[in-house]
Amino acid sequence: MTTHVTGRSLGLLHCLQCHATVRALNLRYPRCPRCHAHLFERKPHSLGVTAALLVCAAILYVPANLLPVMYTRSLLEDERDTIMSGVLVLLNNSWPIAVLVFVASIVVPLLKIIALSVLVVSAWRRSPRQRAQRSQLFRMVEFIGRWSMLDVYAISLLVALVQIRTLAFVGVGWGALCFAAVVVLTLFAARTFDERLLWDAAA
Amino acid sequence: MSVVVCPACDLAHRASRAPVTERTRCVRCHALVQRRENRHIDAAIVLAATALVLFLLSNAYPLVEINYNGTSRAATLLDAAEGLYAQGHAALAWLVFITTVLGPLLQIAINLYLLIPLRGKRQAPGQNALFRLLTQIRRWTFVEVFMLGSIVALVRLSGYAQVMTGVSLWSCALLMLTLAALTTHTSPAQFWRWVERSRP
Repeated sequence: MTTHVTGRSLGLLHCLQCHATVRALNLRYPRCPRCHAHLFERKPHSLGVTAALLVCAAILYVPANLLPVMYTRSLLEDERDTIMSGVLVLLNNSWPIAVLVFVASIVVPLLKIIALSVLVVSAWRRSPRQRAQRSQLFRMVEFIGRWSMLDVYAISLLVALVQIRTLAFVGVGWGALCFAAVVVLTLFAARTFDERLLWDAAA
Repeated sequence: MSVVVCPACDLAHRASRAPVTERTRCVRCHALVQRRENRHIDAAIVLAATALVLFLLSNAYPLVEINYNGTSRAATLLDAAEGLYAQGHAALAWLVFITTVLGPLLQIAINLYLLIPLRGKRQAPGQNALFRLLTQIRRWTFVEVFMLGSIVALVRLSGYAQVMTGVSLWSCALLMLTLAALTTHTSPAQFWRWVERSRP
């Protein structure tokens, strides 16, 4: 096996803000000479913070899916919709959109929590297996994370539009807040995870 | 010889002054290590100015309009956040407001504030802190997701009411493309290259 020369072994730091390569000086709190951002060899407490955020997201995932995200009141009926029943309503109108919302709001957050958990555990155990694939998995998680906000925006527009008093009214349920919290927590979890930890034992 | 370090796996690479290809990828993890940064600052300023016009249009006109039993109602971009706030969901309202209105506006404003002086080889006060703020804000601007979300809302309502798209929906789509182009034009490496060139 070839040994790899890394920034760490050369005493070089990478500025995560401006992507400058900086020689590490023996300072307690080094800053980037170019953009003055704080420099870290690795993000501080990366695995611990990411794990904590993931636990919170996993707990909130339950009420996010069980509590109603939206109330609909009209002359004829009173309805409360969870994310899943919202998908079923969409299924009557247009199935591609229904599939899209199902994937973005139910599948993606769950897969994100699972994928990041796998990454945290494997980085913590310094697993040497399939580093390139795990690195790719992380990049995918980072890329698709924002699309889970889809349902939050759809609900916010429905609330703004359907306010025709006495005829029809749409209200927000607490499930929407839990759901948004899951999305934001997993976005933060992806930010606090330092992907270089996946490679550290290899060098 | 200068060295660049892969941001994703910390592997050290020899940096090339003039990369042969548009993008240089890490040999170990295939993350982007270097990009050819030869964009023109004028193009970035024009994109930011275009984005500003599109942003104003997107906020001035209604996004969607519905017609329900003879009563019609329109919603603007700001109404989406306001409706949530009116129902007592301040946290959700702030989230929607920041990611769809404040984020794009700050992104455009900071870009113009930093780039216009830089074009004349001067540096705006607070440049470093503001550019760091800009890279943070970019991660929390979700205009493209909002676009898709409004389509979902339209489809959902199409069974109950007559729905019409507003001017803002189109300008929002253009804003989304312009912001994406602006972000690639003002990548950190490119921005700092302009700054270094402005120094005597």
